[in-house]
Amino acid sequence: MAKKIKNAIPVVIIAIVLAAAFARFDFLPSIGDPDAPAHTRTSDYYIEHAVKDTNSPNYVTAVIVDYRAFDTMLETTVMFLAGLGVVILLASRPDPKARIIKPRKFTENREHLGAPAYQSINKDVMIKIIEPLILIYAVYVLFHGEVSLGGGFQAGALIGMVYIIDTMVSPGTISLIRLPKERSVALAGAGTFIYTLTGILTLVGGGVFLEYGKLPFSMSFEEKHSTGILMVEVGVTIGVMATIITILNAIHERARFDDDK
Amino acid sequence: MHSLILEAVLLMALIAITLVVIFDKDLLAAVVTYCAFSFITMFLYIVMGAPDVAFTEAVIGVISTIYFVISLRNIDRRCK
Repeated sequence: MAKKIKNAIPVVIIAIVLAAAFARFDFLPSIGDPDAPAHTRTSDYYIEHAVKDTNSPNYVTAVIVDYRAFDTMLETTVMFLAGLGVVILLASRPDPKARIIKPRKFTENREHLGAPAYQSINKDVMIKIIEPLILIYAVYVLFHGEVSLGGGFQAGALIGMVYIIDTMVSPGTISLIRLPKERSVALAGAGTFIYTLTGILTLVGGGVFLEYGKLPFSMSFEEKHSTGILMVEVGVTIGVMATIITILNAIHERARFDDDK
Repeated sequence: MHSLILEAVLLMALIAITLVVIFDKDLLAAVVTYCAFSFITMFLYIVMGAPDVAFTEAVIGVISTIYFVISLRNIDRRCK
């Protein structure tokens, strides 16, 4: 009986929170309402001034990376910390005596499915066609993010996806790159550091933190803004890519520990 | 009006997919169905006029599905 009451506590809490949320629904503006506060206060300013202020034709990029650059910096930091948390939770060694790490052979996993190990058409198509295409698209998304859709986050996710495909398709022996989890965590930190470094450079140039117009380069105002946005985007790309790789490595490593037991 | 109908259809699809994910016995099937969830969410974002968010949702939906599949491959339990 006591167990039943214990199980019921979360349900009751969720019910209370949901009830509170639904009670406030009337006061929220409906979707697409032109009189909503979000559309009347800042949006007009952004639409009128974004191109002149930031030299970025894409309003989304202008708002995310320029007007709210500080916000995005801390978001990148949060993501880095999330990757670090996954590593600490998953990849910490459960038993210090279990030191032997047995590499998991992919052939085992394939053979019990009845498929030949290294003669898959999937692998050929993935490595020869899909991976290069995704990589090219990722670079396009990164460098064209200022003008069209996308930006650092999407580009980093795409590159991380290429790494995941590469790991799943050609594990162990043949693969383009290998990043152990210590290095990928460091790389995620480096991505965040590039972002912060951009802010410090603007401080050196005599501006406010992350005020791209004051970068200490001999460029015009517009070029400085483009360069600043690009530097930040590159930092975000590296951070996201490395975080994705870190989580993948942590999951893989955890599986090895569990095999040892 | 048309976009409202489209949104309604997509939202109902979301509810249906959620029910499938919750009540499916096969964990792998549930994970793949969850990928369909983020796919439908992507269309919802496009209908709402946020292609940037839709792009992110598409990429992240695939990556989280891969994480789930890898985790599933590494545990013994295949069904609820």
